[in-house]
Amino acid sequence: MKVLLIEDNLELASSISEFLAREGYICEVSYNIRDAQDKLISFQYDCVLLDIMLPDGNGLQILSFMRQERIQSSILILSAKNSLDDKVAGLEEGADDYLTKPFHLPELHARLRAIYRRKKLNGSNMITFNEISLNIDTLEAHVNETLLDVTRKEFDLLLYFIVNKNRVLSRQSIAAHLWGDYTDNLANFDFVYQHVKNIRKKISAAKGTDYISTVYGLGYKFNTSKQ
Amino acid sequence: MKLVDKFTLWFLGVTLIIIPINSVITYQSIKREIDKAAIERLKHVNVRVAGQLEKGEVPGEYTQGCRIKVESMSGPTPEGQYAITERDVTHDPELRDNDRKITVASYHTINGKHYRITSGDYVSRSEQILAGLRTSIMWKLIILIGLVVLTARLASRIVLAPFYSTLKKLQRFSLKSKKKLVLPPTRVKEFKELNCFVGKMTDKAVDDYLSLKEFSENASHELQTPLAIIRSKLELLSESDIQGGQAALITDMQNAVDKLTRINRSLILLSRLENNEYETEQEVSLSRYAQEAVNAFGDLIALKSLRLECSIDPDVDVKLHASLADILLNNLISNAIRHNIPQGCIEVSLNRRCLVIKNTGRPPEGPTEDMFQRFKKGSQCNNSIGIGLSIVKQICEINSFQIRYHYASERHIVEVAFPQAGASSKLLQNDERYLHEKIQL
Repeated sequence: MKVLLIEDNLELASSISEFLAREGYICEVSYNIRDAQDKLISFQYDCVLLDIMLPDGNGLQILSFMRQERIQSSILILSAKNSLDDKVAGLEEGADDYLTKPFHLPELHARLRAIYRRKKLNGSNMITFNEISLNIDTLEAHVNETLLDVTRKEFDLLLYFIVNKNRVLSRQSIAAHLWGDYTDNLANFDFVYQHVKNIRKKISAAKGTDYISTVYGLGYKFNTSKQ
Repeated sequence: MKLVDKFTLWFLGVTLIIIPINSVITYQSIKREIDKAAIERLKHVNVRVAGQLEKGEVPGEYTQGCRIKVESMSGPTPEGQYAITERDVTHDPELRDNDRKITVASYHTINGKHYRITSGDYVSRSEQILAGLRTSIMWKLIILIGLVVLTARLASRIVLAPFYSTLKKLQRFSLKSKKKLVLPPTRVKEFKELNCFVGKMTDKAVDDYLSLKEFSENASHELQTPLAIIRSKLELLSESDIQGGQAALITDMQNAVDKLTRINRSLILLSRLENNEYETEQEVSLSRYAQEAVNAFGDLIALKSLRLECSIDPDVDVKLHASLADILLNNLISNAIRHNIPQGCIEVSLNRRCLVIKNTGRPPEGPTEDMFQRFKKGSQCNNSIGIGLSIVKQICEINSFQIRYHYASERHIVEVAFPQAGASSKLLQNDERYLHEKIQL
């Protein structure tokens, strides 16, 4: 998957591109609108990660530019200014999703995957990893053809793990993914623990491999090398 | 006491002092004028009598309309001199009442003979003048007080109109509206000064408020990118090969960044609420949102072994922005979960009138009035940043919901009452009337 990252902050851009590179994305970076427009005309990208506040203008300009030029890439807006207007305007102008800084990198990845799934693999709503398969539409999870009795949150969590396999997922990132940003709910870490525990139990009960492991004190990891 | 009453009282006080002084002066001058006129007339009479004498006529005692006495004098007379006497006649049987008599005596030399001519007349007595004065003063006072009282309010309404309009404008003035105060022009110097001062003051307040708000908004937004950098770097770091001790350090840092992020986001949300960025005319189905929120928290409720009692009426539509409906319900329900006790319960009830969320929990330790203030925590629960309820309150305020917290029968009860149909306009009217009452003229 080829991604164009339009972000003027060097440090953040390097973090994101490094992370995405590890996930196997081909990530190119533009630091301003002009450069981004050049790149968009010259190359084809599956997805554009777009910062709103750029040194030479508003990132929303890119959206209209892309529409004019009939560039079909998916767009994920990354903004420090989580103002509603920007969000609405962005989504109206054809952006696919909107993520507010500071975000968790696994969250960014999960969103990218979701956009990609929606755009490219329309029809196929199944995500499969070895014996685990998830149906995004029906929210059903199967392990070895056995239907798991999972709640919505547990399903989301399992999906988050599988999308970010072999990555350390911090409790903060999991909590933010499951409950959003605005709940003043740092105590959710206990709940994260509970959810992870339940999922592991349910997968094991269906005779699946317990891929999820605890990492030091950092969080959890969906470890594909486990047998 | 009203300004106009003060002025009226002052004016009446001054009038009450002036009127007696004035009447003494009036009395004196009237008396003097009467006497002068009488004396002039009598002098004239004396001269005429002298003329008669010169012609050889003998004047009758009452020929000139007043009593005349002519006496021959031996020896020289003080020619051209007058002797004026004045006396109160008290026992004249001819008169019903006592009276005042003025007599003028003059000396004349006619045909070598010396005469003293004396004429006298009755003039108005002091009591009569005083009686007249009394009546006129009384009428004067009655008319004065009546007119002053009647017209003072009207006059003050007209004269103080610029003042009242300034006052009204000030009362309606709100920093949050970000509008500068426009005051009507006036020609009265004091009001000009007042308006000038008030205008300068409010302009400065608005400017200060705006710059402060801009600063805090910018600060919050500018913090987002560095936070994103720290967070992403920590995430990358945690992917690298690290030891147990380092992991603990990273976790602590992640916790702190997380907390910072939440505080920052909440502050941004609050400032945007204050900016009325979430104004809406559309109604949302709060029933649906409540049901969704309850479902979303179902896991947490189950994990904490809480009992959930739910009575959500269908078709509760409230004028509220959809995002805010989410935030409001999420904050309230997550609070009810967090501050609960094991095996406790949560009751959520929603109807057209209000949303009530009750939960078991430890009784509040301190006063609960400042529960809704920022960074005030009921219990020292370290995991919360203490801004959730403040956001809830702000949401309620901008949508004119009434929020109330109390603790009863071992339950923490948060009640959000929605404005009833028609009540909102009535409230506005009341407000208007109240305003009017307060600055009534």
